[in-house]
Amino acid sequence: EHPLLRALIKVTLLKHEATGKPIVVEGLFVGGSAGKAEGRLMQYHPLSLCNTSEDERQDGDFITIVKLEHRVPRCLPLLDKARMALDKGAQAVIFDVSDDANAAAELREANSFSRPVVLVEAQGAEDLMGLVNKNEEANVVIEIKVEPKWLHYDV
Amino acid sequence: TEGPPSCPKGCDRCSEYNGCVKCKPKLFIFLERNDIRQVGVCLASCPVGYFGMRNPEGNNRCTQCKIDNCEACFNRNFCTKCKEGLYSHSGRCYVSCPPGQRTANETMEC
Amino acid sequence: AGVRVDGSGDAEAGRASCPGRCRCELDGLLLRVDCSDLELRAVPSDLSVFTSYLDLSMNNMTLISAGALSSLHFLQELRLPGNDLSFIPKGAFAGLYNLKVLMLQNNQLRSVPAEAFNNLHNLQSLRLDANHISGVPAGSFSGLRSLRHLWLDDNALTEVPAEALSELPALQAMTLALNHIRHVPDHAFSALGRLVVLHLNNNRIVSMGTNCFHGLHSLETLDLNYNQLMEFPTAIRSLRHLKELGFHSNKIQSIPDHAFTGNPSLTTVFFYDNPIQSVGRTAFQNLPELRTLSLNGAAELNEFPDLTGTRSLESLTITGARITSLPTSVCEQLPNLQLLDLSYNQIQSLPSFSACESLQKLDLHHNEVEALEENTFTGLTSLRFLDLSWNRLSTVKPNGFSALPALNRLDLSSNQLSSLPLSGLQTLTHLRLAGNGQLMELIAREDLPRVRWMELPYAFQCCAFISCDRKGGSSWEKEEAVEAAGRDAAVLSSQAEPDWEDFLMEFEDGPKPQHAVHCSPTPGPLRPCRHLLG
Repeated sequence: EHPLLRALIKVTLLKHEATGKPIVVEGLFVGGSAGKAEGRLMQYHPLSLCNTSEDERQDGDFITIVKLEHRVPRCLPLLDKARMALDKGAQAVIFDVSDDANAAAELREANSFSRPVVLVEAQGAEDLMGLVNKNEEANVVIEIKVEPKWLHYDV
Repeated sequence: TEGPPSCPKGCDRCSEYNGCVKCKPKLFIFLERNDIRQVGVCLASCPVGYFGMRNPEGNNRCTQCKIDNCEACFNRNFCTKCKEGLYSHSGRCYVSCPPGQRTANETMEC
Repeated sequence: AGVRVDGSGDAEAGRASCPGRCRCELDGLLLRVDCSDLELRAVPSDLSVFTSYLDLSMNNMTLISAGALSSLHFLQELRLPGNDLSFIPKGAFAGLYNLKVLMLQNNQLRSVPAEAFNNLHNLQSLRLDANHISGVPAGSFSGLRSLRHLWLDDNALTEVPAEALSELPALQAMTLALNHIRHVPDHAFSALGRLVVLHLNNNRIVSMGTNCFHGLHSLETLDLNYNQLMEFPTAIRSLRHLKELGFHSNKIQSIPDHAFTGNPSLTTVFFYDNPIQSVGRTAFQNLPELRTLSLNGAAELNEFPDLTGTRSLESLTITGARITSLPTSVCEQLPNLQLLDLSYNQIQSLPSFSACESLQKLDLHHNEVEALEENTFTGLTSLRFLDLSWNRLSTVKPNGFSALPALNRLDLSSNQLSSLPLSGLQTLTHLRLAGNGQLMELIAREDLPRVRWMELPYAFQCCAFISCDRKGGSSWEKEEAVEAAGRDAAVLSSQAEPDWEDFLMEFEDGPKPQHAVHCSPTPGPLRPCRHLLG
């Protein structure tokens, strides 16, 4: 299986925008969606990306983050959840797959998302969700991580 | 995040970041937006602007009314309580009654 | 906005006294009292007579004693859901002359507390959902002459309480969903001339009287989804104002001719997940307001339906039938069509679609089309998505695609093409040609300047879209040629083979900030860029 591109997620609290050093977290692009994106961080409950969800419209550029949980009954396949999040206007979607072992495998099979879809887990995810819990406005920039040329890596 | 905090009343399963993810039977899950967070809460009846949709699997959820100027609705398209000062007719809310309809001011209906 | 008064003291004695631990709010002269979720066993005794709203939800109340609320003449809304009420005695709601909303859902009631209701002449909304009510005897609602909205869903009803309902002349919306009803008798709702919404979904309805909806002159929404209906509900014929009809997820096998002849106002009808085999040719005639029609798997349908008088259709889906041809006037009949899906039929030739000016998506995959004429798609200025995969296409006239200024997704895979006229395809972002074994010509990159996703018959045809000379390396690992963040990244996708489902779903997006061309099959050591055959 070919390695996937890694993402750099830089998050800055709006109140620290001028001075503050961003939190940098690594993730994995899926679905051939590697690319750059920027927007405000916005959490979505996993059940809000279902067929029965009404279209809660956000204004302005935002980046959706969803904490997936294996105990939450899956109302839609993750590919459709990712697309639904993008259809709701997200500039990119970040899935915290720390507590949903199958999610990573399911999403890695995807291809051709129109905008970046990134998986995060472990400490990186913990940092991001910790920020969400503070419920403070934050700006997120997602970029492709540049690997040094000579390194062969396999994921 | 195993071992979540004790769940709030009406909630069967919850987590630190998502709030409730499964409500007790007969209750409705409401996905409450609070700035950047969105957490699940369990309610016996849905808040203003929402109605309760039941389904056989018990995944009952609060769903948005799709009618202008409506505070409470029966389903997506039928309002049961219009905003103050508006008249209701066949589940919709009007500033003034449609032509051909008599105004009943005591019940604010056409 | 109300003035908040907490339970410890009272801002103005009498008017604003707030029972212990409850939360109160002055609303003009009246008081809104929230005593929910306090593990109360009985109605608080020291309620202000000016209480207009009282929430006792989610407590542990098993009984409401007679007269407990009798002083609350101003009460308009009383909420008691989520308690353990199994019985409500006569007089429990005495004195509530102005009560408009009464919520009793999610309790333990086994029958309708008729005696308790009979003085509530101003009640408009009554919630009895999510109890254990198995029957509603005649007279249960006799006092409720003002009732507009009734919830009886999620109970144990085995039949429609026709007699009890006949006492509710003002009813406008009712749900009997999620019960155990098996049959809807004739005249079940005959007194409900003002009913607008009726939900009967998720019951066990097997049969319906042909006059069961007699008297529902105002009905606009009828939900029969998730039942056991074997026959088309012809009883709908009397519903002249019906706008929304659902009978999906039943066991209906045929839709008769003139099925909706009595429902000229119909705007949406859902009947998927039925084993429908046959459809009357005139079944969907004269539905001037219908916007969407979707019919899948009607295996005995071998003719395109006659849609005379159904001119507002924007989305028409008829898949899995045996349609062999389309009327030449299909676009004249359906001038507003935006989506046409006729996949999985047996269509051999296509008419001109030029009169379908609003058409955005045309799905004809899995048919038997052999050729595309010059005028087949002329004039389709809005067409963005065209799928002709899995047909027998061998010839496409030179200007077959020339007049499609908005087309960005084209699928011609699995046909018999040996050449492809590219004129007119400059706007393409997604192109699929795999499965055309005789199509060996090279495709010049300048002919498809905006393409981002391609699936071609041969790997060497991908070379024009990826810089071939750097691909001679020993291994085909992913390579990123990003010199600095944010600069154009000529990225070779190394995802798993793209599957069609994603191609279909990618409908709306614009070009990505970083233009990456996904082209397969990917050239490699076993599939070199230089085409060996010259």
